[in-house]
Amino acid sequence: MIHFISKRLKHSLVLLFLASVVCFTLVVSAPGNVAVLIAELRGAASTPGYVEKVAEEIGLNKPLLMRYVDWLGDAVTGDFGISYRTGQTVSADLPQRMMVTGTLIAGSAVIATLLSLLLGFLGAFWPYKLPDRVSRGLALIGASTPTFFVGALMIYGFSVTFQLFPSFGFNGPVSWVLPWLTVAVLPAAVLSRVVRVGLEEAMTSPYVLTAKSKGLGRTAILFREALPNITPVFINALGTQVGLMTATGIIVEPLFAWQGVGDYFLAGVRFRDFMVVQACLLIFLAFFIVVNLIVDLAVLMTDPRIRRQWS
Amino acid sequence: MNKLKPIFARLNKFPRVALVVIGLFVALGTFAPWLAPQDPSAQNLLQGGLGPSVAHWLGTDHLGRDTLSRLIIAANTSLVSVGSVLIIAMTIGILMGTIAGYHRGWVDDLLMRVVDVGLSIPSLITALAVIGIVGPGYWTMVLALALAWWPMSGRISRAVAVSIMSKPHIEALRVLGASPWRIYFGHLLPGTIGAVMVYATADAGTAALAVATLSFLGLGIQPPTPEWGQMLVDALPYLESDPRQVILPGLALTAAVIGFNTLGEAIALNRIPKPLTRRMLAMRRIEVAGWGKENSDA
Amino acid sequence: MHDEPLLSVSNLTVDLLTAKSAIRPVDGVSYTVRQGECLAIVGESGSGKTVMNFAPLGLMPTGVTTSLSGSVRFGGRELIGLPEPEIRKIRGKSIGFIFQDPMSALNPVRRIGRQIAEMAELHLNMTPRAAEARALELVKLVGISDPSARLRQYPHELSGGLRQRIVIATALAGEPKLLIADEPTTALDVTVQAQILRLLKDLQRRLNMAMVLITHDMGVVAGAADNIVVMYAARAAERGPVDKVLVTPRHPYTRGLINAIPKREDPIGSQFRGLPGIPPTLGAPFKGCAFAPRCDFAVPTCTASRPPLVPSADGSVFVACPVVNEGRAAA
Repeated sequence: MIHFISKRLKHSLVLLFLASVVCFTLVVSAPGNVAVLIAELRGAASTPGYVEKVAEEIGLNKPLLMRYVDWLGDAVTGDFGISYRTGQTVSADLPQRMMVTGTLIAGSAVIATLLSLLLGFLGAFWPYKLPDRVSRGLALIGASTPTFFVGALMIYGFSVTFQLFPSFGFNGPVSWVLPWLTVAVLPAAVLSRVVRVGLEEAMTSPYVLTAKSKGLGRTAILFREALPNITPVFINALGTQVGLMTATGIIVEPLFAWQGVGDYFLAGVRFRDFMVVQACLLIFLAFFIVVNLIVDLAVLMTDPRIRRQWS
Repeated sequence: MNKLKPIFARLNKFPRVALVVIGLFVALGTFAPWLAPQDPSAQNLLQGGLGPSVAHWLGTDHLGRDTLSRLIIAANTSLVSVGSVLIIAMTIGILMGTIAGYHRGWVDDLLMRVVDVGLSIPSLITALAVIGIVGPGYWTMVLALALAWWPMSGRISRAVAVSIMSKPHIEALRVLGASPWRIYFGHLLPGTIGAVMVYATADAGTAALAVATLSFLGLGIQPPTPEWGQMLVDALPYLESDPRQVILPGLALTAAVIGFNTLGEAIALNRIPKPLTRRMLAMRRIEVAGWGKENSDA
Repeated sequence: MHDEPLLSVSNLTVDLLTAKSAIRPVDGVSYTVRQGECLAIVGESGSGKTVMNFAPLGLMPTGVTTSLSGSVRFGGRELIGLPEPEIRKIRGKSIGFIFQDPMSALNPVRRIGRQIAEMAELHLNMTPRAAEARALELVKLVGISDPSARLRQYPHELSGGLRQRIVIATALAGEPKLLIADEPTTALDVTVQAQILRLLKDLQRRLNMAMVLITHDMGVVAGAADNIVVMYAARAAERGPVDKVLVTPRHPYTRGLINAIPKREDPIGSQFRGLPGIPPTLGAPFKGCAFAPRCDFAVPTCTASRPPLVPSADGSVFVACPVVNEGRAAA
């Protein structure tokens, strides 16, 4: 067990290192002279020798490896450099933005989990009957509707027409409802299919025939025999979906005028603010790596077969 | 004609809704310039935000452009860009996948590790990162999405390639001294392409979503070319007064994606046994009834 | 009343309807099992022996619709036409099942103790605590060492033989009157097969249960069964007491099967005696005797109509072969 965890941690650290290299290379390989960009920003591009001064200041003249080490050292302490666009430090309100995005993802993950289990079990309980058709229809629509359209419909339906929830800003917990729901639609749809298909597949396995031969009823078989078998699969899929929610957040945060990491990343991409793109990308990648680590550990806890391999 | 038969037999296995929607999308996208009743870019500010009329069946947007024509041309935009993304992604993916499946060993390990990493990052983030560095533009979008998409087809083609390579007739070819080139181009590549095409078609819905999403964010297809995601974001400021202009492109896109996703689901669920439909059951019962019953105990 | 057999199957026909086809894997088969008796059902794979025992009890995989006719009486109760909830009460409680492959028959992510104990909870109305105690008892009964530790383990942590013992313990947990064992030794190592068979036989005698043993292994039959039904292509070819059928097989198919068993006096390197030809695939019922194409003694009447099961002179053995029965009549 401990052997597995330590091995898995090492694996994650290697991935983190690779992620940092990718982020660093991305910016270094970007076209254009960064020093000129910053000099222009400060309105001093025409001053002779200023560009060289900036280059010196941000360490452009050092060898690449040194630059990487400097950058990584700063990044680890939370310093992601200076924004090319605003001239301010990138990390200024990063913790706050991470909180916003984190809350968005956490809330949506909870909603998606509950919804998908509900829909999936409905379908598995009455396979190919009306509840199953409804749940599969909802899943298909949910998985096919673009998130920005879902968001627009949510705003139009709940905020414009019925004025139930505010469509933007932070005014207490109510203002969370629409963004949470918007982000949760896609993962709920995908996960409900994971649950439904997983349960159906489990129900065709030999141990379910055994359970039937024991005289267990359908409910008991679904919950006692099939559910424990799909838990590891579900956790894996949930992990993937939580990772995907960062991408959905990029669409949803600006839609509801939220200042999260996704919104920041999008602004960075829009204005080609490399330092912001780099910082956000590193945060995203680190997040995926951590989520994957948690997923692996959770699967280890729920699947005795894997647990044995490592004990 | 006889060659088409197996193709039709195969198509018959897929849900009809999916085939109809996909067929409609492809037909609309291909013949859009001839189908669109009006010039999609012709503005008339005096006729902005109109409701449906004889002149404009689905009304006009805030610049007075005919919505129906724009929706139809947008199908073309979507089809062309999704097609380009998938073709580029599949070319890279199949190449990498077959090379990995042919060579195995460290080449396989390395390529599949890259694929794993690629698959673990949401495609939107990969695409946005590329656009953020290179700058927005049509071909940047296509290439960025292709870069985000190839690991998927890479993994599938590797799996297909491995299974082809382990078949006895390939073994026999090797023993007979067929050159690696002949095995690769004559047997491995054609077999893989066929299998991957089906998956790629099912995946086209997600690719269409990605194109629309990038356009919605203003980083994909640029105005004045009509595109569903971009039409939606254009109309978003007028959501309260004219929701139709938001809902129509959204519905068009959703319908297309539903078509592709139904196909994908049908492929994924193929291996799970289903209970018989009522009609099938009745047919089987009639068949059995004809057998009659006899008592064997004298 | 006391004489009524525990299980009596008469003229059972099973049709399986699937998406691709309809087949009749069981075609007018009859047999009986009394309390304390062991009946062996022998046949090649695909001869319908498993379906015959599982279909009337509602144990068929999903995606298959079964259509039953004939009669299956268990403990004086007709099972055919009984609604699923009623049949479910019989499964596990009155009839225990043992499956071919203990590797897949146990749920991989649940502890063994729970899988046995839930039977006692369900059928004997025990508290979870009492059920755990019963599980421990059962695990001891099937001869597993270190029983309390085993209960906390997961199936993959045990060997095949141990798992089959767990499956047997589970089947016994509801105190069944009848045990249906579907090829209980096929998936096991040869050395373990004999142990499991001995255990089954011993338990059956000690608990005075009836047992239906589905197998294709004549050795298993000889060691364990009282009566035997030989199945060929969905039909019973021969039926009778084991000592008679195995010693003097009448039906050409039974003869071929027994002849195929290697004997001690066979010279080393002698050719293996198999049955010529291949068994037919199941589909619509055959017009005549299904074995006729492979039979050395076939005559034109064989293919004309289905041969009925005719009792032998002493009335104990039933054979469905016109040639054999004709010969007897002539003699």
